[in-house]
Amino acid sequence: MGGDPLSHLPHGLSFRFLDRVMEFSGENSVVALKNVTADEPFLAGHFPGNPVFPGVFIIEAMAQTAGLLLPPGSMAFLAQVREARFRRPVVPGDQLRLFARRQARLGDIHRFAVRATVEGDLVAEGELDLACRWNPSG
Amino acid sequence: MKKKIRQILSVRLKLAAAVEKIGDDTPLFGPDSLGLDSIDALELVLGLQKEFGVVIEDRAVAVKVLASIDTIASYVESQGKG
Repeated sequence: MGGDPLSHLPHGLSFRFLDRVMEFSGENSVVALKNVTADEPFLAGHFPGNPVFPGVFIIEAMAQTAGLLLPPGSMAFLAQVREARFRRPVVPGDQLRLFARRQARLGDIHRFAVRATVEGDLVAEGELDLACRWNPSG
Repeated sequence: MKKKIRQILSVRLKLAAAVEKIGDDTPLFGPDSLGLDSIDALELVLGLQKEFGVVIEDRAVAVKVLASIDTIASYVESQGKG
Protein backbone atom coordinates (compact mmCIF):
# COMPACT_ATOMS: atom_id res chain seq x y z
CA MET A 1 0.00 0.00 0.00
CA GLY A 2 1.93 3.02 -1.23
CA GLY A 3 1.66 6.66 -0.27
CA ASP A 4 -0.48 8.10 2.47
CA PRO A 5 -3.01 5.43 3.48
CA LEU A 6 -5.52 8.18 4.30
CA SER A 7 -5.58 9.12 0.62
CA HIS A 8 -7.03 5.66 -0.12
CA LEU A 9 -10.19 6.48 1.79
CA PRO A 10 -13.07 7.62 -0.43
CA HIS A 11 -14.16 10.45 1.90
CA GLY A 12 -13.61 14.07 1.03
CA LEU A 13 -11.61 16.17 3.47
CA SER A 14 -14.78 17.73 4.90
CA PHE A 15 -15.86 14.29 6.10
CA ARG A 16 -12.54 12.80 7.08
CA PHE A 17 -12.36 12.02 10.76
CA LEU A 18 -8.77 10.81 10.84
CA ASP A 19 -5.62 12.91 10.97
CA ARG A 20 -2.92 10.31 10.92
CA VAL A 21 -2.37 6.57 10.57
CA MET A 22 -0.07 5.36 13.32
CA GLU A 23 0.57 1.74 12.43
CA PHE A 24 -0.64 -1.31 10.63
CA SER A 25 -0.08 -4.66 12.33
CA GLY A 26 -0.33 -7.19 9.55
CA GLU A 27 -3.44 -7.10 7.37
CA ASN A 28 -6.00 -7.12 10.14
CA SER A 29 -5.11 -4.40 12.59
CA VAL A 30 -4.55 -0.65 12.43
CA VAL A 31 -4.27 2.37 14.72
CA ALA A 32 -5.08 5.95 13.71
CA LEU A 33 -5.34 9.37 15.36
CA LYS A 34 -7.94 12.10 15.34
CA ASN A 35 -7.28 15.41 17.05
CA VAL A 36 -10.51 16.98 18.20
CA THR A 37 -10.19 20.73 17.73
CA ALA A 38 -12.49 23.55 18.75
CA ASP A 39 -12.90 24.77 15.15
CA GLU A 40 -14.90 21.76 13.92
CA PRO A 41 -18.01 23.43 12.46
CA PHE A 42 -20.57 21.09 14.06
CA LEU A 43 -19.29 21.83 17.58
CA ALA A 44 -20.95 25.24 17.45
CA GLY A 45 -24.29 23.43 17.63
CA HIS A 46 -23.29 20.32 19.60
CA PHE A 47 -23.66 22.03 21.99
CA PRO A 48 -23.69 25.85 22.18
CA GLY A 49 -21.20 26.79 24.88
CA ASN A 50 -20.55 23.12 25.63
CA PRO A 51 -18.73 21.51 22.70
CA VAL A 52 -18.87 17.70 22.68
CA PHE A 53 -17.56 15.59 19.81
CA PRO A 54 -20.67 13.63 18.71
CA GLY A 55 -20.74 9.92 19.43
CA VAL A 56 -21.92 9.21 15.90
CA PHE A 57 -18.74 10.83 14.61
CA ILE A 58 -16.67 8.62 16.90
CA ILE A 59 -18.43 5.71 15.19
CA GLU A 60 -17.57 7.30 11.84
CA ALA A 61 -13.93 7.79 12.87
CA MET A 62 -13.74 4.13 13.96
CA ALA A 63 -15.40 3.08 10.68
CA GLN A 64 -12.88 5.10 8.67
CA THR A 65 -10.09 3.47 10.68
CA ALA A 66 -11.54 0.06 9.82
CA GLY A 67 -11.79 1.19 6.20
CA LEU A 68 -8.00 1.50 6.13
CA LEU A 69 -7.90 -2.32 6.26
CA LEU A 70 -9.96 -2.69 3.08
CA PRO A 71 -8.30 -2.92 -0.34
CA PRO A 72 -7.22 0.57 -1.51
CA GLY A 73 -9.94 2.14 -3.63
CA SER A 74 -12.74 0.25 -1.93
CA MET A 75 -16.07 1.99 -1.62
CA ALA A 76 -17.51 0.62 1.58
CA PHE A 77 -20.68 1.27 3.51
CA LEU A 78 -21.58 0.76 7.12
CA ALA A 79 -23.76 -2.35 7.21
CA GLN A 80 -24.07 -2.88 10.93
CA VAL A 81 -23.11 -1.27 14.22
CA ARG A 82 -23.14 -3.65 17.17
CA GLU A 83 -22.60 -3.32 20.86
CA ALA A 84 -21.59 0.32 20.61
CA ARG A 85 -20.85 1.91 23.94
CA PHE A 86 -19.68 5.39 24.82
CA ARG A 87 -17.87 5.68 28.10
CA ARG A 88 -17.38 9.40 28.42
CA PRO A 89 -17.72 12.63 26.39
CA VAL A 90 -14.95 13.61 23.98
CA VAL A 91 -14.20 17.34 23.87
CA PRO A 92 -11.92 19.76 22.00
CA GLY A 93 -8.30 19.17 22.94
CA ASP A 94 -8.77 15.42 23.19
CA GLN A 95 -6.76 13.18 20.91
CA LEU A 96 -8.69 10.12 19.85
CA ARG A 97 -6.62 7.01 19.33
CA LEU A 98 -8.66 4.71 17.12
CA PHE A 99 -8.15 0.97 16.89
CA ALA A 100 -9.68 -1.41 14.37
CA ARG A 101 -9.14 -5.14 14.13
CA ARG A 102 -10.73 -7.38 11.51
CA GLN A 103 -12.47 -10.33 13.14
CA ALA A 104 -13.86 -11.99 10.05
CA ARG A 105 -14.89 -11.46 6.50
CA LEU A 106 -17.36 -13.13 4.23
CA GLY A 107 -17.12 -12.12 0.62
CA ASP A 108 -17.43 -8.34 0.57
CA ILE A 109 -18.57 -7.93 4.17
CA HIS A 110 -15.97 -7.36 6.84
CA ARG A 111 -16.50 -7.42 10.61
CA PHE A 112 -14.28 -5.26 12.80
CA ALA A 113 -13.80 -4.86 16.52
CA VAL A 114 -13.20 -1.16 17.10
CA ARG A 115 -12.41 1.08 20.02
CA ALA A 116 -11.32 4.61 20.78
CA THR A 117 -9.21 5.89 23.64
CA VAL A 118 -8.19 9.31 24.94
CA GLU A 119 -4.95 9.34 26.93
CA GLY A 120 -5.26 5.60 27.41
CA ASP A 121 -8.84 5.72 28.69
CA LEU A 122 -11.46 3.83 26.73
CA VAL A 123 -14.07 6.29 25.43
CA ALA A 124 -15.93 4.17 22.89
CA GLU A 125 -16.04 0.61 21.60
CA GLY A 126 -18.11 -1.63 19.43
CA GLU A 127 -18.25 -3.85 16.38
CA LEU A 128 -18.78 -2.63 12.84
CA ASP A 129 -19.59 -4.37 9.59
CA LEU A 130 -18.41 -2.70 6.39
CA ALA A 131 -19.77 -3.84 3.03
CA CYS A 132 -17.58 -3.19 -0.02
CA ARG A 133 -19.68 -2.33 -3.00
CA TRP A 134 -16.87 -1.53 -5.36
CA ASN A 135 -13.35 -2.74 -5.36
CA PRO A 136 -11.15 -2.19 -8.43
CA SER A 137 -8.56 -4.74 -7.33
CA GLY A 138 -11.20 -7.47 -7.40
CA MET B 1 -23.12 -31.05 16.53
CA LYS B 2 -26.45 -30.03 15.02
CA LYS B 3 -27.49 -29.01 18.49
CA LYS B 4 -24.52 -26.66 18.67
CA ILE B 5 -25.35 -25.28 15.22
CA ARG B 6 -28.91 -24.64 16.37
CA GLN B 7 -27.51 -22.87 19.40
CA ILE B 8 -25.42 -20.58 17.17
CA LEU B 9 -28.51 -19.79 15.09
CA SER B 10 -30.53 -19.18 18.20
CA VAL B 11 -28.11 -16.93 20.04
CA ARG B 12 -26.13 -15.18 17.32
CA LEU B 13 -29.04 -14.59 14.97
CA LYS B 14 -31.46 -13.96 17.80
CA LEU B 15 -33.85 -16.60 16.50
CA ALA B 16 -34.34 -17.82 20.06
CA ALA B 17 -36.99 -20.53 20.45
CA ALA B 18 -38.03 -20.36 16.78
CA VAL B 19 -34.88 -22.30 16.02
CA GLU B 20 -36.51 -25.48 17.34
CA LYS B 21 -38.92 -25.38 14.43
CA ILE B 22 -36.17 -25.25 11.82
CA GLY B 23 -35.64 -28.61 10.15
CA ASP B 24 -32.17 -29.94 9.45
CA ASP B 25 -32.83 -29.40 5.77
CA THR B 26 -34.77 -26.11 5.97
CA PRO B 27 -33.18 -23.58 3.57
CA LEU B 28 -31.63 -20.77 5.60
CA PHE B 29 -31.05 -18.34 2.74
CA GLY B 30 -32.76 -17.42 -0.51
CA PRO B 31 -36.37 -17.65 -1.67
CA ASP B 32 -38.73 -19.83 0.41
CA SER B 33 -36.21 -19.94 3.21
CA LEU B 34 -35.83 -18.60 6.69
CA GLY B 35 -34.90 -15.34 4.97
CA LEU B 36 -31.47 -14.79 6.47
CA ASP B 37 -29.35 -12.08 4.81
CA SER B 38 -25.66 -11.51 4.15
CA ILE B 39 -25.04 -9.96 7.56
CA ASP B 40 -26.66 -13.01 9.16
CA ALA B 41 -24.33 -15.15 7.05
CA LEU B 42 -21.30 -13.31 8.42
CA GLU B 43 -22.66 -13.73 11.93
CA LEU B 44 -23.10 -17.44 11.32
CA VAL B 45 -19.58 -17.73 9.90
CA LEU B 46 -18.21 -16.03 13.03
CA GLY B 47 -20.16 -18.45 15.21
CA LEU B 48 -18.85 -21.47 13.31
CA GLN B 49 -15.34 -20.07 13.48
CA LYS B 50 -15.56 -19.66 17.23
CA GLU B 51 -17.35 -22.93 17.98
CA PHE B 52 -15.66 -25.31 15.53
CA GLY B 53 -12.57 -23.46 14.28
CA VAL B 54 -13.67 -23.56 10.64
CA VAL B 55 -12.92 -20.46 8.55
CA ILE B 56 -15.13 -19.51 5.62
CA GLU B 57 -14.28 -16.32 3.73
CA ASP B 58 -15.31 -17.13 0.19
CA ARG B 59 -18.87 -16.19 -0.67
CA ALA B 60 -19.37 -19.08 -3.11
CA VAL B 61 -18.28 -21.55 -0.44
CA ALA B 62 -20.59 -19.88 2.07
CA VAL B 63 -23.57 -20.15 -0.26
CA LYS B 64 -23.09 -23.95 -0.41
CA VAL B 65 -22.08 -24.52 3.19
CA LEU B 66 -24.68 -22.33 4.86
CA ALA B 67 -27.62 -23.70 2.87
CA SER B 68 -29.06 -25.62 5.83
CA ILE B 69 -28.16 -27.12 9.18
CA ASP B 70 -27.40 -30.39 7.34
CA THR B 71 -24.92 -28.78 4.95
CA ILE B 72 -23.22 -26.88 7.78
CA ALA B 73 -22.81 -30.08 9.79
CA SER B 74 -21.36 -31.97 6.79
CA TYR B 75 -18.91 -29.17 6.11
CA VAL B 76 -17.69 -28.98 9.70
CA GLU B 77 -17.23 -32.76 9.66
CA SER B 78 -15.43 -32.65 6.30
CA GLN B 79 -12.98 -30.16 7.81
CA GLY B 80 -12.19 -32.65 10.55
CA LYS B 81 -13.73 -30.36 13.17
CA GLY B 82 -16.53 -30.73 15.63
